[in-house]
Amino acid sequence: MRARPYGLGFAFLGPSLVLLILFFFAPVLLTGVFAFTNMSTATGIGSGYYTVTPSLLRDLKAEGVGQAADELSQGAFVVSPETIEAARAAGVDGRFVDEIAAKLQGRSFENSSEFQRALKDLDSRPRAIRALKLAMDPFTASVLNVRYDTRDAAFSAISAAAPSLDADAVNTVVNRAYTGWVFTPSNFAALVSKPDTWRVVANTIAYVGATLAFNVLVGLFLAIATFYLPRSSASFFNALWLLPRITPVVLYAIMWKWFTWDTGFIAVIARDLGLPSFNYMKGSVASAWTIVILLNGFIGASFGMILFSGSLRAIPMQQLWASEVDGANRWQQITRIILPQMRWPILFVTSYQTLSLLSSYETIWLTTNGGPGNTTTVWALEAFRTALSNYTGNLQYGLGSAMALILVAVGLVLSIAYLFLFKFDDLISSPKIEF
Amino acid sequence: MTRNFGILPVVVILLLCSAPLAIMYLYLVVDTFSNTPAGSLIPNEFTLEHWRFLIDTSLVGNVWMATFNSLLFAVAMVVIVLTLAATGGYAVSRLNLPFRRFFLAGILVMHAFPAVTLIIGTFLVLNFAGLYNSLIGVIVVKATFTLPFGIWIMKGFYDAVPWEIEMSGVQDGASRFTVWRRLILPQIKPGLVALGAFAFIDGWSEFLLPRILAPATDFQVLSVFLNELSSPDSMTYDFNLFKSVGLFYTLPILLLFIFFQNKLMNIFGGGTKG
Repeated sequence: MRARPYGLGFAFLGPSLVLLILFFFAPVLLTGVFAFTNMSTATGIGSGYYTVTPSLLRDLKAEGVGQAADELSQGAFVVSPETIEAARAAGVDGRFVDEIAAKLQGRSFENSSEFQRALKDLDSRPRAIRALKLAMDPFTASVLNVRYDTRDAAFSAISAAAPSLDADAVNTVVNRAYTGWVFTPSNFAALVSKPDTWRVVANTIAYVGATLAFNVLVGLFLAIATFYLPRSSASFFNALWLLPRITPVVLYAIMWKWFTWDTGFIAVIARDLGLPSFNYMKGSVASAWTIVILLNGFIGASFGMILFSGSLRAIPMQQLWASEVDGANRWQQITRIILPQMRWPILFVTSYQTLSLLSSYETIWLTTNGGPGNTTTVWALEAFRTALSNYTGNLQYGLGSAMALILVAVGLVLSIAYLFLFKFDDLISSPKIEF
Repeated sequence: MTRNFGILPVVVILLLCSAPLAIMYLYLVVDTFSNTPAGSLIPNEFTLEHWRFLIDTSLVGNVWMATFNSLLFAVAMVVIVLTLAATGGYAVSRLNLPFRRFFLAGILVMHAFPAVTLIIGTFLVLNFAGLYNSLIGVIVVKATFTLPFGIWIMKGFYDAVPWEIEMSGVQDGASRFTVWRRLILPQIKPGLVALGAFAFIDGWSEFLLPRILAPATDFQVLSVFLNELSSPDSMTYDFNLFKSVGLFYTLPILLLFIFFQNKLMNIFGGGTKG
């Protein structure tokens, strides 16, 4: 048997592989990597630079690194080839600069009075105190608001500006002065310690659980009810329940908004009946939750309905006829014959829907947007809002990635687990390649 | 099946459950052609004014431009997904590949995996690639997210084609590529039609990706257009207008769905919506 070439196989699969690697694997990897960074709008996505700002100095002072902060805010005076050049360029008297270069080269002074005293000892100093002060300016080694592109440049500038600091202290300042993103495990610690997180986790569990129950129970009910109905009315209900699935989510959200608005359908009916009439989507926590669950439940129920109807039709009719001959009523038929044979479809719908409900936030975002307050915010929505859409304008890509990473991990584990559950091996069995 | 059991109670419960849906969809159509006095639910006059946005662009902006963008988006989706799924599906179904089990398992896991959780990572990838805020970027990302599903569906169709057809083609001296193009592709036409219709509907309905990955207004698709129009801080809150634009937006895919219903139902069960 001759060697079987792989060429055509790769040529056929190649383009798909490239796309999948670029836009499926790379995002997974990046989510994983950036979950451990503090990347945000403030740090930018690219690389940053080093700068000491007055607000950073205030922070340092507040954190007890007061000495460094004081020295950096005063600035020091350094006599070095660069500052001498700067002094010449600034138009300081040439003879005076030459004398400074000759006598004070390489020295640094912690504050202006010290430097001034040293200058007053020089012969060629200007007589006017004002001119002397002007001559001092080019020698300042202040680092405030200066931008350094490399770490080394920042390090040497800061140690020059604050000569009394040891290397550790300078390193601390340099690290804090970096404006780009850095690797840090603090996102997860922050998530665990925030009380909001647990609220969101509880919301997510409630949302997934309730919607799932609605999906499976209503789906099952619809499938069985339409199974027993005459064909024409069955197809009417099937079509009606399929509509939410086909309707684009934006229009679907608008329809629900209309339905629950202040002047919408429910409010008008409630007023006519003498019930409290308000915006049911945003007015109260209980009604907001009901709407969110129904809204998603109606979309998901059709999924259950389609699958369950399919497997119902696969049940041999003879079993039902036989049971009727034996005098079974419908309830007995359902509980003794139909439901036991629906175990796998129910398990499938449950696991599939768990996964998609955990990750979906589109409908909630478009309707209650997690409100009122944060009462209907679920994990996926919170992750999305943290990273890509919030009102404060500082998008925290790192923290959002950390939240998304948890979802990605749960999604991966669940999808692999349920593929094994559903006879995964049969699905990926090799075809007969005979030549 | 015998009819010796009462059907009425079941129908009543069914009707009650379906009432919200029936009401919403009924009013979706009725409200676009009528006006309703405030505080009432019964429309009192027939009007076409809610449809004026089609000719008067000052009302809501240029709806035709958005329609064109949506069409472009959906057609691009169909082309990319069909091409790549038709070739990729054939590769994993019939062609000789190393690590076939690995590829199949990967595609299956990606198919089950909720791609929407990757949106933050995708946002960063597009930023690095310089494709953020471009229609091409969104199209490619959306097509990639649909691809595992497409490949899996096409694999199913290829698996159902009898081996004998391919064998006889090869026997007669055709290359594998010719066999695929001349003999196999005609066999899986129903699959291509179904997947194409699915990709079009999927692309046309997509809201999240264009909204997040290309928020600039120059290539607003209809879904983003409609959402912007109905955002809570818009000047006037006119549900009749929103519904008209929404119905205009939804009609093409409703028609498409009705037309391809039987073909679509085969693959719709495994769709991506919650």
